[in-house]
Amino acid sequence: MLLDVLIGNLGYLLRGAVVTVGLAAATVVPSAVIGMVLALAKVFGGMGVRAVVDVYLYVIRGVPLLVLLFFMYYALPYSGIDMPPLVGGVLVMSLYFGAFMAEIFRAAILSLPRAQWDAARSLGMRRRLLFQIVIYPQVFRLAAPPFVNTCILLVKSTSLVSIISLWELTLAGREVAERTFAPLQIFGGVALIYFVLCYGLSRYGLYLEERMRFAH
Amino acid sequence: MNAFVARYLSVFLDGALVTVELALAAIAIVIVWGLVVAVARLSRVRGLAALAGGYIQLMRNTPLLVQIYFIYFGFAMAGFGLSGFASGLLALCLQNGAYAAEIYRGGLQSLSVKQIEGGRALGMTPWLTFRIVVLPQAVARVVPPLGNQFVLILKDTSIVSAIAVGELTHVGKLLSERTAATYEIFFVLAAFYLVMTSIVTTLVRLNERRVALLV
Repeated sequence: MLLDVLIGNLGYLLRGAVVTVGLAAATVVPSAVIGMVLALAKVFGGMGVRAVVDVYLYVIRGVPLLVLLFFMYYALPYSGIDMPPLVGGVLVMSLYFGAFMAEIFRAAILSLPRAQWDAARSLGMRRRLLFQIVIYPQVFRLAAPPFVNTCILLVKSTSLVSIISLWELTLAGREVAERTFAPLQIFGGVALIYFVLCYGLSRYGLYLEERMRFAH
Repeated sequence: MNAFVARYLSVFLDGALVTVELALAAIAIVIVWGLVVAVARLSRVRGLAALAGGYIQLMRNTPLLVQIYFIYFGFAMAGFGLSGFASGLLALCLQNGAYAAEIYRGGLQSLSVKQIEGGRALGMTPWLTFRIVVLPQAVARVVPPLGNQFVLILKDTSIVSAIAVGELTHVGKLLSERTAATYEIFFVLAAFYLVMTSIVTTLVRLNERRVALLV
């Protein structure tokens, strides 16, 4: 059978998929934190802080993720910063996606009506309380659909770390394809596994978008 | 640093040229292909719309790198091998065509049906309504997000280095394996990409202003 080769190696590929999910999960949390910090800095920061954030966003958004990964992998060891690819990969991806999350959170913060701030202040709320019960709940809801869509990009981008020889689904696929001489079936199967991982996220993103449309 | 950069500048420029070729070819094809897919997606023919929808979902939920491997290694095994450049270009167009289709669809659907009905009520033919009512407004709404997609396409061309196409990132990778000047190499790489993405962003902004005036 044409697909026997895929079925025979499915276990190995699925172990790669587990690493991919782990990588994505390990990246999502720090990139969300970085994104929120950058967004707050950009909205509320002074001129100096905003300029620094702007430079960061400009560089990250203008340079491909793969080039940043190569920088970590090839260049940093020369200055004695020799991270294991796993740590370095998660770090670079977090910094990269943090920049994209920053835009999402910033747009959400800026879309809140000015009157809400004034109202909360005039009720005598402290800054911390204001953020806790007025700003954050709304920002998270507004930012949820684009956040989920960025998560899909993030899962897909974890495939790039296979190029710096970090073992996950795509690298597992390359190994099996080279061993079995069946690239069509193997990479087709790998694509299918990614599809299964991302499709749920896609549906969830759509659901959130729909819900948002009704809320307005 | 300067001596190194001066010595290898022509090598970097050759790589950048391949990157630009890939990106421009992909952008040109994606502009057309995305529209074709969007029209198919909105078509009243059920099968066609479902096919386009399935294609968009498949592309949006699988990584570009795996598609590149599938096309480059898989097609060769199946008997019609493509060059690295052609494989990379095909994968870039397939993937980004799906995103462009969603952008076009958003632009077309954001128009109120009343405008089309209004045009028809004034006695315009469907084609005339489309040409002078729908199209100018759709274009104005589509240009900014499409521009963002072009920047992403330009950045995505770096992934084609995985199958040894001699574009900018591949050049940088080869040089950093052969020389010890890795910092210089990556600063030059980053500078090249920043200049190229900035040019695309600026061109899109200028166009944005022009199409905004149309409406």
